[in-house]
Amino acid sequence: MALAHEFDYARPACLEEALKLKNEYREKAVFLAGGTDLIVNIKEGMLKPELVIDIKDLGEMEDFPYNEDRMFVGAAITLEYLIHSDPLLFDYQILQDAAKTVASHGVRTRATLAGNICSAVPSLDSAPALLCLEAVVHCVSVDGERQIPIGEWFIAPRKTALRDNELVLGVYFPSAINWAGIYLKLGRYGGEDLAQAGWGIMLNRERQYRIAHCALGPVPKRAFKIEAWLNGNELSEELIAEAIKLIPEEISPITDIRSSKEYRTHVSGIMLKRGLLAARDRLKGKPVDAAKLLGGIA
Amino acid sequence: MKEITLRVNNELRSVYIEPNEILLDVLREKLGIKSPKCGCERGDCGACTVLLDGKAVRSCLVLAVEAEGHSIKTVEGISAEKLSALQEAFIQFNSFQCGYCAPGIILAVTELLEKYPKPTLDEIKESIAGNLCRCTGYTPIFDAIMDLTKGDK
Amino acid sequence: MKDYKYIGKDVTRIDALEKISGAAIYGDDIDFGANLLYAELVQSTMAHAIIKSIDTSEALKVKGVYRIFTGKDFPYKFGLYMKDRYIFAQDKVRFVGEQIAAVIAFSPGAAKRAAELVKVEYEALPAVLDQMEALKDDATLLHPELEDYPHVPWFFPKPGTNVAHWRKTRKGDLEKGFSEADFILEDTYQVPRYAHCAIETHVAIGKFDHSGRLTVWSSSQSPHTQRHLFAEALGLSHKDVRVIAPHVGGGFGGKAGVTMEIIPAALATKLKGYAVKLRYSREQEFINTYQRLGVVAKIKMGVKKDGTITALDHKIYWDAGAYVEYGANVVNAVGLSAIGPYRIHNVSIDSICVYTNLPPGGAYRGFGYSEMLFGLESHITRIANELGIDQIEFRRKNAIKAGDLTAYGAKMNPNGLIECIDKVQKAINWGKKPSSSDPTKVIGQGFSLFWKAPAMPPNASSSAFLKFNEDATLNLIISGMDIGQGYQTVMAQIAAEILSVPPSKIRVETPDTDRNPYEWQTVASHITWSSGNAVKKAALDAREQILSLVNRVYHYPIDELYLDDEAVKCNTDPAFNLPLKDFVVDGIMTKDGTFKGGPINARGMFMPEFSSTNGDPETSQGGHPNVHYTVGAAALNLEIDKETGKMRVLKAALAIDAGKALNPDLVRGQITGGLLQGLATVLYEDMRYNDKGKLLNPNFTDYKIPTAMDVPDEIIPIIVEVPQPDGPFGARGIGEHTMLPAAPMIANAVEDALGIRIKEMPVTAEKVALAVLNKDKP
Repeated sequence: MALAHEFDYARPACLEEALKLKNEYREKAVFLAGGTDLIVNIKEGMLKPELVIDIKDLGEMEDFPYNEDRMFVGAAITLEYLIHSDPLLFDYQILQDAAKTVASHGVRTRATLAGNICSAVPSLDSAPALLCLEAVVHCVSVDGERQIPIGEWFIAPRKTALRDNELVLGVYFPSAINWAGIYLKLGRYGGEDLAQAGWGIMLNRERQYRIAHCALGPVPKRAFKIEAWLNGNELSEELIAEAIKLIPEEISPITDIRSSKEYRTHVSGIMLKRGLLAARDRLKGKPVDAAKLLGGIA
Repeated sequence: MKEITLRVNNELRSVYIEPNEILLDVLREKLGIKSPKCGCERGDCGACTVLLDGKAVRSCLVLAVEAEGHSIKTVEGISAEKLSALQEAFIQFNSFQCGYCAPGIILAVTELLEKYPKPTLDEIKESIAGNLCRCTGYTPIFDAIMDLTKGDK
Repeated sequence: MKDYKYIGKDVTRIDALEKISGAAIYGDDIDFGANLLYAELVQSTMAHAIIKSIDTSEALKVKGVYRIFTGKDFPYKFGLYMKDRYIFAQDKVRFVGEQIAAVIAFSPGAAKRAAELVKVEYEALPAVLDQMEALKDDATLLHPELEDYPHVPWFFPKPGTNVAHWRKTRKGDLEKGFSEADFILEDTYQVPRYAHCAIETHVAIGKFDHSGRLTVWSSSQSPHTQRHLFAEALGLSHKDVRVIAPHVGGGFGGKAGVTMEIIPAALATKLKGYAVKLRYSREQEFINTYQRLGVVAKIKMGVKKDGTITALDHKIYWDAGAYVEYGANVVNAVGLSAIGPYRIHNVSIDSICVYTNLPPGGAYRGFGYSEMLFGLESHITRIANELGIDQIEFRRKNAIKAGDLTAYGAKMNPNGLIECIDKVQKAINWGKKPSSSDPTKVIGQGFSLFWKAPAMPPNASSSAFLKFNEDATLNLIISGMDIGQGYQTVMAQIAAEILSVPPSKIRVETPDTDRNPYEWQTVASHITWSSGNAVKKAALDAREQILSLVNRVYHYPIDELYLDDEAVKCNTDPAFNLPLKDFVVDGIMTKDGTFKGGPINARGMFMPEFSSTNGDPETSQGGHPNVHYTVGAAALNLEIDKETGKMRVLKAALAIDAGKALNPDLVRGQITGGLLQGLATVLYEDMRYNDKGKLLNPNFTDYKIPTAMDVPDEIIPIIVEVPQPDGPFGARGIGEHTMLPAAPMIANAVEDALGIRIKEMPVTAEKVALAVLNKDKP
């Protein structure tokens, strides 16, 4: 299973060194954290870097400060670490839900949140959570630091706003303690799958709503029209039914070998309805298992 | 070529590698550790699972050079002195058939039981959800673990 | 019922320690040293084309590349039941993925890089991607020389068409049968292709030494058949071809016969002194190994008001792929058995094997019966419902009994079908399905019968050698393959029971065709029966030698001697106790200092001498092509989310008549494993081809096989035992059968819950949800 493509490997001991290398090589160098996307991409010929820069010795990448007001997830923090962390269990449940659906345990022990968002695939599970949480991506290069709001991060399938000499330092999350949130994912069976539709839903006691989706268009997006309809209102059957009618205006799903656009659109309505009610349950302190909301195994 | 040293099954091993060599291949071809298997080359099947610093990882997605200075454990390491209680349970319950997925599952469950000595069935399923087994239907694997960990034997 | 010491017990697998300690060696684990070369295939990107040129010049420049071979180096045909296949494509390619050339290099990376640089020029031909298209009069012919292909005498190709084989079964008077019917239902069912997905991909290594001796190590279900096909195709004497089988990481039929293994075998003959390895990637495993054939089935069944089936017209059109040397037998097998386990007097079956420009179809667990039963068992449930008769009662009424005639006129063997039905009905609480408190969920019950016979040539035989060691442990030298089902353990149990040596003291290894005697193949769920009979004979031979020797030296009558606790004892002299280890190699020393006897070496052989394929080509009547059928029944409770269509098996019960379950634990292992594999084919597995014949999902990301999260909440395995008269201790095979009822059960449960009948597999959540939506539309 050898990699046919040959490349050099560097493991810089400090951030300056890493940034200098990247600035020199630009798109001919790639950063390596968990490798769970990168190695597959090199193996299948999608990426042919000259240099692989391993960031795992950079201390900044392991930063994970959090309190009630904010959380910062360093670029080397693995999904598995995140899933078992207090802030995700208590304050950022929507991100917990999403992280738990990515691949499997043996992949999550290496895969990172930063790597996840850099892949920028349309079905990116963490995206709806990050969009609802209004996360900000912190990047750095020899030219200085940049903060990119997540809403501006996804440009096109597999393309982000990251410049070719930049490194993601981590993702910043504002406080979410007054919100309850949930992530629902449509897969083909009970095991790991790429989302055929993903919906992130957050709401708070002020009757504000944040809704985002993935796998339903070229990039993950907030559903501002649906939010506008819901904002300020108590959830009711009629309110939700009208919200569902707005879905076709928010999404542009395709038919591919995983799912048809009819099914994606139809189940999105179910996901929105059940997600809103489940988020409300969580707001009231009721435990909800996001993985069981759509029924079945298949 | 670069020489790296890593701890494999409690022994320090040194080996010459190129940056593009995959940990799974280096373990199997250069270090003679055959129990981690190749099943899909993409991290989808779990047959290549090894414990890297005690955590289950897909060795087909790790560059060998990343493992320098780290510690790897495979089933050979677990079986070195004698079989673990988990392995004995799997034998008693006839849990495996063709055996190809067994090393990966044994390591994943070994890691699980270190953290959660009395896992629920859901926790067991989650820990091996990424290890594909085509033969058994998983039930005899669950049965062995549940029997081993219920504690009143 | 006799009480046995080892037979019928949950004996621990004798290969468990090896596999669980990490010691087990599979094909890719074997080290070959410095002279190992790696082969990388260049595969066709076209479904049907003439190869105009192959330019290897750039590829040969890559550092580490040794040679490149193409079809012109190996112009040999091969095949199991028909010789229609090549080692490398010759003038044409017939499916996307067909091997055109092999790059041989000293490292896998170099081979891969070079293979990407081989340039192939094609001239496209019209491709036929659908068996119904391929049957049209103006369809492009895939094999214009079909007439010249050697094949077994019981295949009937139609030259000048894409029909490689047409099995016709005709019994009774179809027209009369339909005229007697009060109700006739006619419909079409469709089943796509499926992939085996053994976790170990195919791997084989060939080595041709300087004495002209070819050795092939292959992950295979059929080492002797492989040796035979290699020797024939390559023009070597059988004694100069050796196939060594390491442990196999799953077969499911995909590693039966010969596919990619012949490539390193042939390459080796041109690389004298080197070993050359070909290991398939997962993608190649999906694209260029046997696949389960696709089916379009047209069923017309007539019944009386009281539920008696009066007539069945079953036409099955098989998408068999570009080469059908093995797949045509799937078509044949079903053509003889597509009445299902029922008594039907007026039958017409047409099972038609059609060439298509898709990968070759071949043996897959169930050998065509899953595909056939999806349609038949769906159809039967519909008819029962239409008549207002409980679908289990309907089946019970028509169930085939011992002595009834099969479709081809032979007598049905003793079987516990009614007992299986009764037990499943009880276990699932038929008619009393649970209800859900969740308003979005609905629960349905599904039921299916199943049956299958081994599909083999009439001379598929088994042999066994047995030798004792000095400490009275023994080696069983047999050539069946333990592909996970537990074959080695069960054979050890048989020898153990007869010789009183516990299974843990018996060594059974994977075979070497030089040392181990002939076994046809490990397929068809037949080796418990066939190899078991050979092992039993070998054990009885050993026992006879032992008891004769003791009789000769100690003068006790043979019928007073018996074996117990690894010793010879005498029922008329309780003091007599001669441990086997005292003499099974050394012989028995007598008073005058001479030794009598010596090493106990035994043998056994089993050939089903009653089997024949002399059936009439137009009716299949006469002949005895199937040795016996294994039958069973299954049911499940299925919870469906009405809005998303997502399904969950709450409870499944499966009863199978094993004749005698030699190791009940292993039978239960086949039930849980087979059931889950069957459920996967109907719920979410799905091979998708585009309109150019390219497989769109050759990986586990998009071809989903079950994970630990997909297991039904409860599985109730039920073992029924109506002895197989000619089976060892009454046993017959069960390995494939446990998959068979899954698909029709699900389709039937969906109809029961929602009133929706889905006739094309897979029955996915998407299909269910959209069908519910469309049903509600005005």
